[in-house]
Amino acid sequence: MNLFFQQIINGMTLGSIYGLVALGLTLVYGILHIPNFAHGALYMVGAFMTYFLMVDIGAHYWVAMAGSAIIVAIVAVLSERLVFHPLRNSPPIHDKIAAIGILLFLEALVQMIWGADFRRISSPYTGILNFDGLIIPEQRLLIIVGAFVLVAALQLFLRKTMTGATIIAMAQNRDGAFLVGIDANRVAMMTFAISGILAAFAATLYAPINLVYPAMGHVVIMKAFVIIILGGMGSIPGAIVGGMIIGFAEAFGGFYISTSYKDIIAFGLLVVILSIRPQGLFTKGAH
Amino acid sequence: MLQLKNVDVCYGSFKALNEISMTVNSGELVVLLGANGAGKSSLFNTLSGLNKPTAGDIEFEGKRLNGLRPSAIVDAGIVQCAEGRKLFPQMSVQQNLMLGAYVHRRDKQGNRRRYKEILEMFPILEEKAEQPAGSLSGGQQQMVAIGRAMMSRPRLLMLDEPSLGLAPLIVRQMFQTIQQINSLGTTVLLAEQNAFAALKIASRAYVMENGRLVMEGDREAMLGNEKVREAYIGA
Ligand SMILES: Nc1ncnc2c1ncn2[C@@H]1O[C@H](COP(=O)(O)OP(=O)(O)O)[C@@H](O)[C@H]1O
Ligand SMILES: [Mg+2]
Repeated sequence: MNLFFQQIINGMTLGSIYGLVALGLTLVYGILHIPNFAHGALYMVGAFMTYFLMVDIGAHYWVAMAGSAIIVAIVAVLSERLVFHPLRNSPPIHDKIAAIGILLFLEALVQMIWGADFRRISSPYTGILNFDGLIIPEQRLLIIVGAFVLVAALQLFLRKTMTGATIIAMAQNRDGAFLVGIDANRVAMMTFAISGILAAFAATLYAPINLVYPAMGHVVIMKAFVIIILGGMGSIPGAIVGGMIIGFAEAFGGFYISTSYKDIIAFGLLVVILSIRPQGLFTKGAH
Repeated sequence: MLQLKNVDVCYGSFKALNEISMTVNSGELVVLLGANGAGKSSLFNTLSGLNKPTAGDIEFEGKRLNGLRPSAIVDAGIVQCAEGRKLFPQMSVQQNLMLGAYVHRRDKQGNRRRYKEILEMFPILEEKAEQPAGSLSGGQQQMVAIGRAMMSRPRLLMLDEPSLGLAPLIVRQMFQTIQQINSLGTTVLLAEQNAFAALKIASRAYVMENGRLVMEGDREAMLGNEKVREAYIGA
């Protein structure tokens, strides 16, 4: 019972992180039709910024998280302005090549400054909660609650504010959005900023129970792509549900089958689900 | 109010609009007649800033419009209710209408007032306010599209084939509404294939063929014109 409960917690932890990363990826894809391969690098930069702010500047964990979110948002907006925006009328393959370019650039930059070593971030939440025999590490609880709060905040922003509505409008009908006077540049920048913020939060939440190193984004971005394909490209609920499916599959598969197969499970599931529902679990378009 | 001088528009090497010169005066309801593929939508999209003219000049209230971004054109007072409606299908009717007020988003009070006026114009939309726009019937969706455009408070409203695919009874109401919008002070440019119904409410009309304007005249002249009757009215 306890071990089973442990896997549920592990699945939800992984699912929360994957979901947050996939959410940013799916927003950028759904609204701007850019498959941002550099999104994993934003996640990695988020972890390093938190590391930098905590270890080198001595900031508190929460302050470092906020600082990292701001910096990554700026990096994401810059990548849109300097790279994707000038390519907006080019063939789609150019976006993909440019995204890989950004990915390589950011990784090389981080490696130049901090080296390729594995690093650790210590969060103030190292305790373990014991609910009558059911054990939850504090940081894992923080991840789950944090992801929930972020998703709720994003939903509120998208549904209840005019600015949020412009983002959804652009996803649902691009020309329609232009015809009511929505500025495509503003929406593009905002979407990239949100994706960067979510990536930085995810990285900062997860880093204390993981390692920080320049290539840490690779596995995460691969899974995030699996998730948004599985969930339906551009679908917000698809990213969240897809994240949870992959998170749970990994936790339980790793536990009951073998941890050495856990990275394959995501791709196996993708094959199975797409052969049943080729369009993904949720249909395309943010809603 | 609106003046076009020798406007050309190309899609790649295909010239969709050829030396278009036209005028719309303040308060008029001008109809643009033309068969499928004549270039009506291309012209509207150029005025809306979705297409860029390759030659010529577009002036609106003394301001040069060529090359302005779509948002700047809505700001300037030209709003298009596009062919195919281009609604936000999963958003509610109310959200669609409120997004029409995007350029006036700071004037919350004015937008609420305007929203009420739109509901008075289309009372059926009040009971549908919370439903996704995509779930409405064609006629109702067209009302949302016109309502959304009106929420932008246009001085020049462009309507691209608003009667397309609607039942005759609905079409008649639609033209009445358009006439009402015009008589309340909004200048209207209406693209239609439904020539007879459109001419009945028009002040003037242009006829477009293969990307060129081939005829111009006031309502009576157009209704009486042999070629127009033959080609567009079928009598
Ligand atoms: N995006 C486009 N790319 C290439 N050709 C187009 C495009 N849009 C319209 N056309 C062509 O331009 C011509 C005019 O089309 P359109 O403006 O839609 O006419 P109308 O609205 O009068 O039916 C047609 O021959 C059409 O095929
Ligand atoms: Mg057309």
